[in-house]
Amino acid sequence: MMFTTGTDKSIDRKTGLLKSPAGSALRSIIASVCCILGGMLVGTIILFILAFTTKDIPISDAVKGMTIIFGGPFASGSKSSTLFVLGDMILETTPLLMTGLSVAIAFKTGLFNIGAPGQYLMGAMGSLITALSVPTNGSNNFWVWLLALVVGIACGMIWGAIPGIFKALFNVNEVIVCIMCNWIAANVVSWVFSVSGDRFINYAETKTKFIRPTSTNGVSTPKLGLDKVFPGSNIDIGIFIAIIFAIGIYILINKTTLGYELKACGMNKHSAKYAGMNEKRNIILSMVIAGGLAAAGASLWYLNGKNDFLWNTYSSLPNDGFNGIPVALLASNNPIGVIFSATFLRYIGKGGFNLAGYTHFNEYVSNLIIAMIIYFAGFSKLISDLLGRRRKKKTIEAQSAAVIAENTEGGDDK
Amino acid sequence: MAAPDTSHGAGTAEYPYVIEMRHITKEFPGIIANDDITLQLKRGEIHALLGENGAGKSTLMSVLFGLYKQEKGDILKNGEVVEINDPNDANRLGIGMVHQHFKLVDVFSVLDNIILGVEPNVAGFLTKKKAREKVMHLSETYGLNVDPDALVEDITVGMQQRTEILKMLYRDNEVLIFDEPTAVLTPQEIDELMEIMRGLAKEGKSILFITHKLNEIMAVADRCTVLRKGKYIGTVDIKDTTKEELSSMMVGRDVKFVVDKDEADPKEVVLEVENLCVHSKLHKKDAVHNVSFKVRAGEIVCIAGIDGNGQTEFVHALTGLEPVRDGKILLAGEDVTHKSIRYRNTHGISHIPEDRHKHGLVLDYTLADNMVLQRYFEPRFQTAGFIKFDEVRRYSDELIEKFDVRSGQGSASIARGMSGGNQQKAIVAREMDREHKLLIAVQPARGLDVGAIENIHTQIIKSRDEGSAVLLVSLELDEVMNVSDRILVMYEGEIVGELDPKKTTVQELGLYMAGAKRDGKEEE
Ligand SMILES: Nc1ncnc2c1ncn2[C@@H]1O[C@H](COP(=O)(O)OP(=O)(O)OP(=O)(O)O)[C@@H](O)[C@H]1O
Ligand SMILES: [Mg+2]
Repeated sequence: MMFTTGTDKSIDRKTGLLKSPAGSALRSIIASVCCILGGMLVGTIILFILAFTTKDIPISDAVKGMTIIFGGPFASGSKSSTLFVLGDMILETTPLLMTGLSVAIAFKTGLFNIGAPGQYLMGAMGSLITALSVPTNGSNNFWVWLLALVVGIACGMIWGAIPGIFKALFNVNEVIVCIMCNWIAANVVSWVFSVSGDRFINYAETKTKFIRPTSTNGVSTPKLGLDKVFPGSNIDIGIFIAIIFAIGIYILINKTTLGYELKACGMNKHSAKYAGMNEKRNIILSMVIAGGLAAAGASLWYLNGKNDFLWNTYSSLPNDGFNGIPVALLASNNPIGVIFSATFLRYIGKGGFNLAGYTHFNEYVSNLIIAMIIYFAGFSKLISDLLGRRRKKKTIEAQSAAVIAENTEGGDDK
Repeated sequence: MAAPDTSHGAGTAEYPYVIEMRHITKEFPGIIANDDITLQLKRGEIHALLGENGAGKSTLMSVLFGLYKQEKGDILKNGEVVEINDPNDANRLGIGMVHQHFKLVDVFSVLDNIILGVEPNVAGFLTKKKAREKVMHLSETYGLNVDPDALVEDITVGMQQRTEILKMLYRDNEVLIFDEPTAVLTPQEIDELMEIMRGLAKEGKSILFITHKLNEIMAVADRCTVLRKGKYIGTVDIKDTTKEELSSMMVGRDVKFVVDKDEADPKEVVLEVENLCVHSKLHKKDAVHNVSFKVRAGEIVCIAGIDGNGQTEFVHALTGLEPVRDGKILLAGEDVTHKSIRYRNTHGISHIPEDRHKHGLVLDYTLADNMVLQRYFEPRFQTAGFIKFDEVRRYSDELIEKFDVRSGQGSASIARGMSGGNQQKAIVAREMDREHKLLIAVQPARGLDVGAIENIHTQIIKSRDEGSAVLLVSLELDEVMNVSDRILVMYEGEIVGELDPKKTTVQELGLYMAGAKRDGKEEE
């Protein structure tokens, strides 16, 4: 039995178990780097074309362009400004990371959560109302903060449950319900804040389009000294909370029975049903978790205490909700990968912002370039598969040599 | 060579082999699926490919059809080396394939599936009328009965198979690859298919035919190439060989075709079905109508019948995959008619499903994950919601060993990459090993090689002897006659007869299955 002898199997098993995760991680890193380089190249070409064809843009701007984008927060060159921008970048990564996780876990269950913007808004509303209306006395501030976070997450969970329930019970496509829920959320939030009048709206600073920052009630996410590390920035520990969420979701998906069920439902709902899994429950649950994650992104952002919430939002949806989609896709829906893809997107986002600031290119060009880079990063999966094929071939050669050797000694019966 | 070949390269007809695969080697992680295999297909012959599960037959055919690229070796068409990089290349060279696991679009109609990729059109607008005529014509000439307007997801496996065959015929291919076409057909349909294949060969088409059924090879093939564990064993002329010789070439030992079993000793009733009715998805009538019977511990009751007579719906109702319209299902005296699938799974029902890809496996899970598909929540495999992967793996290794499930990387193999027969063996292993009072086995031997069939029949009988009730649903007359203790024939959703396999004949069974005969005691 050349394929089934005990020793043979244990070797295979070991290679299968030990080698491939590390190998595949390396592979995807190489692939990502290749793609980002490709994106840079194409981006540079575009910049040069634009510089050549537009009178106002000097060629030197095109030369600088890519270094500025990839310089991200470091582009300014001065240390104090770098730390300040870096800190804010980390702070801004938090909500993106959370919406990325939200989209990723829904994808794992075979659902497309395009409802993250709505869930995000509901989370913002829940957290802001709680943080601004529960009285604080100096000693309970932390608990009010925690309560506000939990309420925000709960609001998002409820909002996520709606498309989940429609999908599970009435087989209505979740994308349609999600999109409707987004706009309903935008209007609900606007309405709630408009009828609640001066209780939440920022009349004090006559920024009447905005809700008062939660710090006015003494509620804000702890900083634990991060503001000393990044002087001038608003950074708080939200990023750590988000990373803990990411790790938690990773464990949930890969190590638990619930994750096993969610994935099974996503991969083959017929066999999940055959196995006795409750598909309807899993769909709803997955959307509830996704909704909670997206909402947590908003809660962490607004509970920072310094960020303004534009309450009159009925005609627009938060970008970070939608940007969760490329974040999840770039990470192949791997929750740990989401940490990196969210950071990456924010990083080049800063770069794009700087491009418009330091050169004659406007923000549309920088958005275009960033979109190019994201597109290229999307190819990384393809490249990683190609690399995988080559790697496999090599190991197979070694393995087959071993098998052949074993077999010729063993003496085949024919 | 009788019929002149006009469409494909005249003048090359001198060369005896329409297709030659020389020294083909194809590897997958942990396994050499094809190891220096040479296959020569003569023009107008029916060439069988025989080998155990996982021997590399499908892989070899996939190489020919352009789905995999060989690492070494050449493919020759009419004596000239050709590059086949994808199925389009294969199609251009007149090579068509019916896959072991069908490649149909579920939500398209049969007709749309057949013309998919070669849609007839006038200036970009579909003109289906001609296509329909051609399909209906082919369907009539070859007796491949399909409903061109039914959605693929609604039709039986048998009809899907016929759709696949029509798809190939529709493209006028001259080299036809059939990967286990008969695994899902009824005996009558198999006879018809054999007839079709002979007719095609006579017209000058060359056929490569994979099957595990030696009778079919003996009946229809001109020559047979045998593979074993990825290696070429030999090619024999069918007229100079016997079934026994073929099977020992393939397995490396002699195989018993009939399993020994003792007299059944039926005890208490385990499954009782009372006036069961199940809706049909295809038509307005019931798919299962007023079915009542009992299965006792220690006996194997077989539901025989031609595919599409309500067996699928009946089994789905028993296992909870489809709702019951009326009637009752009692499991060991307990009414489970409206219980959840999970409840039935954990209260003694094991189910080897008819469609291993749709229901039986999560193809993108590893073999180990698939082995605990209904058990991952048991304390043995999880604590506080965390799966004990070591234990899962240990258990999976145990099953792999016990049921000889072969794959490149053992427990770590992704189910999708396993050979069809080994996927089936994995499901059988899982279901047999779960604690059960009732084993519902639908076509358990589908796609298995003779050695594996012997093994699985032995296991089923062992399960019976250990006191479980077995409900076997089979289209396979040999299996029905050899394994069962009692036969119930299902025709158009009703049980039309109860037979004793020792007292009846295949002919009589056939009459019942065709609806030509039914027991007097049934209301008529
Ligand atoms: N895509 C793949 N990835 C990994 N391994 C594969 C893949 N396809 C086939 N194999 C392996 O190659 C071997 C041969 O498989 P193949 O499907 O050709 O067998 P087969 O002779 O058709 O068997 P069966 O009679 O069971 O259908 C098997 O061990 C299988 O695990
Ligand atoms: Mg096969």
